[in-house]
Order: sequence, then C-alpha cells, then structure tokens
Amino acid sequence: FLVLQAAIWQALNHYAYRDAVFLAERLYAEEALFLLATCYYRSGKAYKAYRLLKGHSCTTPQCKYLLAKCCVDLSKLAEGEQILSGGVLNKQKSHDDIVMEFGDSACFTLSLLGHVYCKTDRLAKGSECYQKSLSLNPFLWSPFESLCEIGEKPDPDQTFKLTSLQNFSSCLPNTCTTLVSNHNISHRQPETVLMETPQDTIELNRINLESSNSKYSSLNTDSSMSYIDSAVISPDAVPLGSGTAILSKQAQNKPKTGRSLLGGPAALSPLTPSFGILPLETPSPGDGSYLQNYTNSSSVIDVPSTGAPSKKTVSRISQAGTKSVFSQSGNSREVTPILVAQTQSSGPQTSTTPQVLSPTIAAPPNALPRRSSRLFTSDSSTTKENSKKLKMKFPPKIPNRKTKSKTNKGGITQPNLNDGLEITKLDSSIISEGKISTVAPQIQAFTLQKAAAEGLMSLLRDMGKGYLALCSYNCKEAINILSHLPSHHYNTGWVLCQIGRAYFELAEYMQAERIFSEVRRIENYRVEGMEIYSTTLWHLQKDVALSVLSKDLTDMDKNSPEAWCAAGNCFSLQREHDIAIKFFQRAIQVDPNYAYAYTLLGHEFVLTEELDKALACFRNAIRVNPRHYNAWYGLGMIYYKQEKFSLAEMHFQKALDINPQSSVLLCHIGVVQHALKKSEKALDTLNKAINIDPKNPLCKFHRASVLFANEKYKSALQELEELKQIVPKESLVYFLIGKVYKKLGQTHLALMNFSWAMDLDPKGANNQIKEAIDKRYLPDDEEPITQEEQISEFGTDESQESSMTDADDTQLHAVESDEF
Amino acid sequence: MTTPSKTPPGADPKQLERTGTVREIGSQAVWSLSSCKPGFGVDQLRDDNLETYWQSDGSQPHLVNIQFRRKTTVKTLCIYADYKSDESYTPSKISVRVGNNFHNLQEIRQLELVEPSGWIHVPLTDTHKKPIRTFMIQIAVLANHQNGRDTHMRQIKVYTPVEESSIGKFPRCTTIDFMMYRSIR
Repeated sequence: FLVLQAAIWQALNHYAYRDAVFLAERLYAEEALFLLATCYYRSGKAYKAYRLLKGHSCTTPQCKYLLAKCCVDLSKLAEGEQILSGGVLNKQKSHDDIVMEFGDSACFTLSLLGHVYCKTDRLAKGSECYQKSLSLNPFLWSPFESLCEIGEKPDPDQTFKLTSLQNFSSCLPNTCTTLVSNHNISHRQPETVLMETPQDTIELNRINLESSNSKYSSLNTDSSMSYIDSAVISPDAVPLGSGTAILSKQAQNKPKTGRSLLGGPAALSPLTPSFGILPLETPSPGDGSYLQNYTNSSSVIDVPSTGAPSKKTVSRISQAGTKSVFSQSGNSREVTPILVAQTQSSGPQTSTTPQVLSPTIAAPPNALPRRSSRLFTSDSSTTKENSKKLKMKFPPKIPNRKTKSKTNKGGITQPNLNDGLEITKLDSSIISEGKISTVAPQIQAFTLQKAAAEGLMSLLRDMGKGYLALCSYNCKEAINILSHLPSHHYNTGWVLCQIGRAYFELAEYMQAERIFSEVRRIENYRVEGMEIYSTTLWHLQKDVALSVLSKDLTDMDKNSPEAWCAAGNCFSLQREHDIAIKFFQRAIQVDPNYAYAYTLLGHEFVLTEELDKALACFRNAIRVNPRHYNAWYGLGMIYYKQEKFSLAEMHFQKALDINPQSSVLLCHIGVVQHALKKSEKALDTLNKAINIDPKNPLCKFHRASVLFANEKYKSALQELEELKQIVPKESLVYFLIGKVYKKLGQTHLALMNFSWAMDLDPKGANNQIKEAIDKRYLPDDEEPITQEEQISEFGTDESQESSMTDADDTQLHAVESDEF
Repeated sequence: MTTPSKTPPGADPKQLERTGTVREIGSQAVWSLSSCKPGFGVDQLRDDNLETYWQSDGSQPHLVNIQFRRKTTVKTLCIYADYKSDESYTPSKISVRVGNNFHNLQEIRQLELVEPSGWIHVPLTDTHKKPIRTFMIQIAVLANHQNGRDTHMRQIKVYTPVEESSIGKFPRCTTIDFMMYRSIR
C-alpha cells in the first residue's frame, strides 16, 4: 500500500501521468481518493477529478480544495463556492472558519474563493478574501495582482511584510524536513535543489501540477511554482522550525511568490510517511543532477520525525537535523555560502555578485539543515530560473525576482544553503555533508530564514508598487519603480512586459516596441503580454515585424488567445478584415475570459461597419473585465460614429476615469465636446491633453480645428504652424491651414496649402480637398483659369503615381483644364 | 477611335483595398443570377478564385443582381474577364443599372470590352461625380465576343468608399505619427 503510494508519487514527479493514473486507479480500488484525484488533475483531466471527487463525499480539506479547484476550472463557480464556503443559500462560513478548517492551505483556499467572487461580480467580497489570503501568506502574488486588477489599491508595504515569526512559520511548512523543490533547471545550469518538505504533499503536488500540463490556473496564479525554501531545522528539534518557504513562482510572470507550504501534518494527505522510504526522487523538474544528488543522499532520506510525509516530489527527507539545502543555481550566480554565511548583510542585491556554490559550502560546519533558504541564497537569477522551471507549464515569466535580491542576502548567510546542487558542480558529497549537522541551532536557522524572507518581501514590495502603479495607470511612476529593480530582475520577461505595457498605455509606441523586442529576445517562449506588442506594431504599422510575431506565436502555442490576437492584428493591418475577424473569434474560443480579444474583435467590426456586432463585442469585453478601458473607448467611438454625442461623451468619460492619463482619450473627449457645442470645455480638455502629452500631434490639430470653428483664426494658424514643425508631412495640417487662409481671404496661400496637401496625400482625402478647392472656384471669376491649371497640374502629376481610384478623378480634372 | 484597341487590364483590386480607401461589401448583399449552369453559379462568382466562373444558361441579356439591405454607397465595380480563357463566353457589352428594386432600374453606365484580359474597373458615379447610393445594382451582359450566347464571368467585386466619421473630425491621416494617436486599440 505504501509502496504503491510511493510509486505513484514517483511517477507523478516524473510526469509519467499514464503510469501514475493507472497505479492510482489500482490503489483507489483499495483507497486513496485524493491521490487518484490528484493524478487526474495533474494530468490535465480536471473533469475526471471533478466527477471522482463529487461521487464521494470529500471530508478532508485537501479533497475539498481540489474539488473546488476542479469546479472553478470547469466554470462551475457556484459549486466551487459552495464547497469552499457553504454557498449562497446556506449559511456561509466566515473567513475565520475557513482558516481554521483549511489550516495551512487557507491562503490558497481564500485566494480561490476570492477568484470565484470576483468572477461572479461580488467584488467587495472577493477583495476581502484576497486580502485575507495575503495576510495569511504574504508570499502569494496572485491575490495581490487580482486586487490591483479589480481596481483596489492594496498597499504593497502593508501586504508584503512578515508580521511575526508566527506568521512566518505558519507560512512555511513545519516539518523538519525542508523541501526544496528544485523545480527548475536553470537555463544555464541545471540546478537541482529541492528541498522537500514532507508536509506538504499538497504543496508538492502543486508543484508537480505546475510542471504538468494541467490547467493549473488558479494554483498557478497563486504563484505556483514554488521554490520551496525551507529552512529545515532538525526535525527533532522543533516542529515549528523551519518551514520551508516555498516561493512559488508564479507561473505567470509573477515574481516568485512564496507559497506557503501547506500546513502541517494535518494537511498531509494520506500519502505518507512512506515517502521516507522512497528513494530520493528527483523532484519533478527532474534535474539530472538532482537525481544524482538525491540518490547519493538517499541515505539521508528519513522520515522526519514529525513523520510528515514528504512529498514525493521532493523526496528529500532530511534526516534529523540535516537538511540539505539544495541550491538552485539558476544563473550563473552562485551562492557562496561560506562567504555569505557570515555576512548576512551584503547579500548580493545585485545580481552581479556571483555566488558560487561550492562543495565546500555544503560542508560548512553549521550545516544547518538543508535549508531551502537556498532559494534565497541562490542567486536570484537562479532561483528565478528554478522557479521558472518549476512552472514548466508556463513560460517562465519572471521568476523569482524577488527572491533573488533579497534572498541572496539572506540566503547567503545561511551556510547550508546551497547548494551544491549545481549541476555543474554536482556534488553529492555536498549533500551528504549538508546533512551533517544538526547542530544548527534552530534559532540561527530561523533568523536566517527570516532574513531571507525579508529579502523576498522587499522585492515583492517593489514589484507590488510597480504593478499597482501600472494598474492604476500611473504609467510613468510604474516605469520608474520597475526600472529600479535590480538588473537581474529587470531583465526578465515579466518586468519588461509590464514596462512595455506602461509605455504602450502612454502611447509611446516606439519605446514600447523596443522593450517588447527585448522581451522576445530573452524569453521567446513568452506569450503573455505579446498581444500588447502586436497592437504596438499595429500602431506603428510595422507589418513585417507583426507578421513574424504572429507566425511565431501561433506556431508555438495555438491554445493561447494572445497568439490569435496577434494574428488578427496582423491581418487587420493588411486591411483583410474578414480574416482578422476570424482570428479574433478564434482567440475568444480559446479563452472566453480574455477581454482583449473581444475588444479587438469589436474594433474590426467597426472597420467593417457592422456596428451592432461591434457594440455587442465591446459589451462582452466589459462584462469580462469592467476595468478594460479600451472597450469603453470602443463604445464611445461607435456612438460618436452614430452621432450620439452625449452617449459618446459618457463612455469616453468612463474610460477616462479608469485611465486618467491617456492623452488620446482626452483628445477624443475634446472633439466630442466640440461636437456638442461645448467649445470652451473642449478647449480645456484639449489643453489638458496637451499638457499631459506634448508629443501628441492630434491634440494640437484638434485644438486648431476647434479654434478654426470658433473663428479664432490667428491662434489656429499659430497652432498649425507649430504642428507643421512637428509633423511636416501630414497633409491634413496643410489642408486645415489652407482652409484657414481661405477664410482669411488669402487665396494664394490657401491654394498653395491645398496643393501641398494634395501632394502629400495622393490617395486619401482627395475628396475633401478637391471639394474645398472647387468651392474656391465659384466666387472668384478672375482666377479660375490659373487655379485650375495649377490644380490640373497637380492632378496629372498625381494621376501618374496614384492608385486607380484617383486616376479617374484626376483625369477628369485634366480633361477639364484642357478645355480652357 | 476607329480601331478598337484591347481593353487594358486594371490593377488588382486587392491593391485598392490595401490603400484603405475602399472596402469590399459584396458580402453585405444578396446576389442572384438570371440563369446558371449547375456548379457554375453565384458561389463561383464570389469565391475569390479566378479559376472558377459563373456560366449562364439562358437567353440574353444575362443578369447579375446585387441587392443590399440598405441604401449603400458604391464607388467602384470590378469585373474580371479574360478573353484568352473564355473566348466566345467573354462579355463584350455590359450595362450597369441601379435602382431601388427590379422595376426601378436605370442604366448609369454602359461599357464595351474588347478582348479584356484582366480586371475591369467600373467607377459608378452620379451626375455630381460622387459615388452612387443605391439599394440594388444590376449588371447586364448584353453581348458576348464572337456573338456567343452564354457568358462566363469569373469574379465581381463591389467597393464602397471607406467613410470617415461623418463630421470629418477624424479624417484619414497620411503619416504614421498622426495615425498612432488616432485611436486606442
């Protein structure tokens, strides 16, 4: 029985889902509901897990949690809610009840519950859940992110801090063994450091989950991959000791979030102590070295005194007192434990300090039990990598940024930390050495751990501030904050994507494009955030780059809405709107909860003049995400086209409330106000727009046209002259100048400008210009000939170059002039 | 002109589309034919494939009726005809009529084709030289080359000018700098 369980966990750790499922089904015939459900869920078949668990009453919190997760994945939100909190009709459990019931996994439970509430429009309750979840476990990033996205403004300083030791330890698994999950193999060096915390079977499961392809959405979003960093204090010593802080890296680009290992023994699944018997397995990431390390240290495997089953994945159960700290060596940074050990301080904040994991480190005298703090120690880069790897499923997005800088600090101080696992260094001996000493006083371990966690917290705080600023559309500030992150964190996909998005929202498309191409260079497997890149390229009209991007993304991942959005943008730029519509609809099919796909589809329908469908699309986008200001803008545009100006203004205003710094929005509002005859207000708004973004030429243009309409010709001219300097090739500018001169009676200048305008725009606004010129002919009898000659001259020139549509028109002109 | 010269082929309408000044709106209309051979009907006329064609199967004039749901501005018609492949099936005299319904059609354009070998662009303008606004367009093939009875037509496209916003407040810009700021996507 136990052997079977062990075998199953081993299979799970190696992602051999078919094996795992088969064995689990056999075991299930005897027992072990949760194990089978886990196998199903991890292998990506949430519906199987769902039906299985539903068929039996789930009493243990783990089963409940897994069932709730399956429900959410299958969009059965009401059911999920009912399982977790008693449902809408029954008496609902308070958050404290939940905390008590789920123990260590309460933070994840609350996070999941918050997700359900937000999706069902109960934002207040949702945000409450998220807050509570964060207070229980400040290592989680996704509740924080969700809070920012629904518009709340959580305070990163308050959120990401370790309030007490109690908290700290409660966040981390209690068992003595430390789990280090070495999830990732850093690109550069395989690292394996996984400390396993026996207790957290679930946690480990999660980790496995991440690596598996299952829809790990919520967990993942909860910062799944966790680097389990557990400073393990000798098992005998203190149950509290070291929890392992599992920093989970968010699968999605979130900085590593520490994931607290699910509770203590209580949370342990039925899988149990047998793990101790198991050979060390390489944790799911399957680092080769890891394996080696493990096998070497197999002797170390011990059932922790607490008997908590170690997660199979981690498979490392350290012996009493000895904890191996596996360091993940992600990037080249390696921790130099020894050095570090004593220094607590300097922790290489910067990624620059290479940390060397040396075998010797392993042997430090204080062989603190393996400490997962490795996570901290390892260079942030490494940890990041590792965590990234953990999340195999998702392209690593920013892994542990946080951990890095700070962890380094802390980590380094921990002697054990690391590592040795560097694959490059593979030193099994290290591990064994690591085991050595149980000596480490728990206190020392504890403080080290705390220091490491502090480091992480401070990183989380910074990132949190940056993200919060971005979600409130304080883009400049967000860019500022994020640019001050240590460079090894800065140069990762997640951070750069956020910065790119900030530039995008500021309408600085060139900058955004630069940043995004950097992201593509360093993390070309990343799809999240690429839809913004594709829209940036669309604005810049770089069709080649856009089609390369869309081809690459669709080849890479056909199941991601971002790839199809990019493809749709590509065809939209080529003006093949029907195909673009098809692709955007595909994006919606792939993920019906992706608001941006609806927005883009709406824009395409506007371009094909199917305004009703466009309205429906924009409304859908708002249904999915009420803070999606692009959709509000889209609605405003449609009403503007239909000349329902007050409705248009209202919608634009709503968009502006969400994103107050957008000069384009202000510009549109100004235009609408002018159309509503509120010209004073219009001018005010346009002035505001120009103040916010002096580089926006359209604002000036519209200001000039409002002035023109109000007959303030001199100021209009002045504005236009300035504009001419900024954008010398824009035909509209000359056209407007021509109109102003015409009104002022300076016909020569007017004609000159009109002809310039026509020159610059052979295909476009010909009609308008020609009309303007035609009107010119009638009143003045003396000049018609000369004028027409001029025009026809230009006309014939153009006809040679221009497209077919113009040919007829200009030829007509030429014909007429010939007659004179 | 005494010696009829061959009708020169026009540019590929796709290029027209790419300028962004016109949009193909055939999909917003109901198409019908006076007659057709099975397998050579409306679908083949509108499938974007120059290899497939409509073949009529009745007496002249052969008609293609395009009916819109609402009064639509039409700027250009593009017809693909190729003498080399269709020989006596190639239309030689085409009349374009517009109106509100079948009883109300008025001819606005008549064109003579001489051995066409590609796309023919037919701008449809009214007396004020603006694109016409109509509910229905009828393309009538009055005669074919070599006095053929039936006709082949390979493709027909209908283009409407891309409207700028009614007030012209967001007119089409020519430079990317302006266009970047034109909208939020």
